[in-house]
Amino acid sequence: MRGIQLSLNQTQKIRLQRALQQLESLSSKVNSNASVTVADTIPINNEDSILKGHGTSERGGEVVATLCGVVERVNKLVYVRTLRARYKPEVGDIIVGRVVEVAQKRWKLEINFSQDAVLMLSSMNLPDGIQRRRTALDELNMRYIFEENDVVCAEVRNFQHDGTLQLQARSQKYGKLEKGQLLKVPPYLVKRQKHHFHHLDEYAVDVILGCNGFIWVGEHVDVRESMVEDQTENAGEQNSRSHKSLEDTPIETRRRICQIANAIRVLSNLGFNITVEVILEAVNLSSKLDCGVDEMLGPEFHVALAEREAQRRSQSKKKG
Amino acid sequence: MVGLSLGEKHFIKGGIDQNIRSDGRKRDSYRPIFVETGVIPQANGSARVRMGATEVIASVKAELGRPSALHPDKGKVAIFVDCSAVAEPTFEGRGGEELSAELSVALERCLLGGTSGAGAGIDLTSLIVAEGKICWDLYIDSLVISSDGNLLDALAAAIKAALANTAIPKVNISAAASGDEQPEVDISDEEFLQFDTSAVPVIITLTQVGRHYIVDATSEEESHMSSAVSISVNRKGHICGLTKRGGEGLDPSVVSDMISVAQHLSELLMSRLDSEISAAEAEGGDEEL
Repeated sequence: MRGIQLSLNQTQKIRLQRALQQLESLSSKVNSNASVTVADTIPINNEDSILKGHGTSERGGEVVATLCGVVERVNKLVYVRTLRARYKPEVGDIIVGRVVEVAQKRWKLEINFSQDAVLMLSSMNLPDGIQRRRTALDELNMRYIFEENDVVCAEVRNFQHDGTLQLQARSQKYGKLEKGQLLKVPPYLVKRQKHHFHHLDEYAVDVILGCNGFIWVGEHVDVRESMVEDQTENAGEQNSRSHKSLEDTPIETRRRICQIANAIRVLSNLGFNITVEVILEAVNLSSKLDCGVDEMLGPEFHVALAEREAQRRSQSKKKG
Repeated sequence: MVGLSLGEKHFIKGGIDQNIRSDGRKRDSYRPIFVETGVIPQANGSARVRMGATEVIASVKAELGRPSALHPDKGKVAIFVDCSAVAEPTFEGRGGEELSAELSVALERCLLGGTSGAGAGIDLTSLIVAEGKICWDLYIDSLVISSDGNLLDALAAAIKAALANTAIPKVNISAAASGDEQPEVDISDEEFLQFDTSAVPVIITLTQVGRHYIVDATSEEESHMSSAVSISVNRKGHICGLTKRGGEGLDPSVVSDMISVAQHLSELLMSRLDSEISAAEAEGGDEEL
């Protein structure tokens, strides 16, 4: 529970402690000996031929951990999966990133990984939706698609031989994100799921849970209209489009966006996994407690949410 | 500086216009404030203040020195600000110097009053040990650990908390010297004097974005600012200092409007800070027991 710094009063402190204890007691004890800290011995059951993987080292005939985490075994390979680590992309992950550079035929995106990811112009659906070879003209018009600092949603395509990461955005659902806010949470809080795009119908809000810990909360946009019909009409279209994007978000939607964003902030402060169900639960709790959007970041809501989560997990445990 | 896309910029601006900012705050509300005192054991007083993601540390170090010839009845206070490269990569090397200088000048103006020391938030005459001969020099050093906007307000709050935490040893003059000689002094290890911080002002920065102004701007919001006015207000509601940043000019009526808003907000901020400081002091006391 690193980093919770709230001015709690005495009762709130006790309540939070109790909720956290309850959560701890609920966590599964099955693999408790599989979690290691630095210098813990990893038992290898006298197997001669094991492969030492990431986070392990041999010391005096024993295999010891050099990282904190969970021991994972794949056949002969033994490695430590760290608990708090930078985002490690896997092929097929849906990520949210920010454009840092427009280069030749590619955009470079900041995605919270140890290096910037590459989105090639050729792995993008062109705005006109026609499959064709990318021309020099397309290359010159790249800034009409994304420019520096734009927030973009994409999918991890593959790793190159030199370790660079390639992205693709070959569908209408990927692309530029506008009218909303980008939140950054620790990437280990976002688990890979079936769905990362969520349209919360009743709130008219879109939530995109990027596997890299970047979460987009914004006004709902319908499946993107084919934006640019013809390259020659570019300038005129561009104007009308930017005009459209300057329309104000309705106040009720904005309130919902802020409410959901604050729910995510509180969840990440408390270190709970972030899924759309948990977010909605937190939003409902805030409505039920009659907690204003601006009060959600205060201590009382943190404590209430921790208690709610403890209760929810204990219930689901009983059922299961 | 943070990079924001056009869409995000527009969203933030629209939020300020509609009085719901990105984290749900209204234009005139502060982020949660967290105060911890006594964080540096070798200083006479220290405090760490968090406002949202902005985090600063202030420490007070007291040393015996000679008062200046012009003001023999007053002690000396110096304020320094350092911006850590941890807060933002651009602060590395000399990158943070400009900002540090700007902040320390603004703090000196707001907390110390004129060069004569008149009207200072800290009562300089209370720092005198022997008039014209010995006084306390206070060195107030502050460090920006993490920067998410509104640094000046956070620094002023941290300095206020650090001064409230400061204990200055009692000094006994053991042998009264005659003439120009320096008297011998005996610094007590047991008896300490607490500072009276009731006159230390708080600083409220109002950032003008578009047609409205906001308090406690995050760095994202500060990237839109046209100008910002920092007003330091003491407990009586009197203005102790005023600085303006940013290129764009302001209408005089807006400034006077801002001042009255700051005056009103200062009461709330002052009482909130006071309760946070006393809670932090109580907590520190518990740990020592």
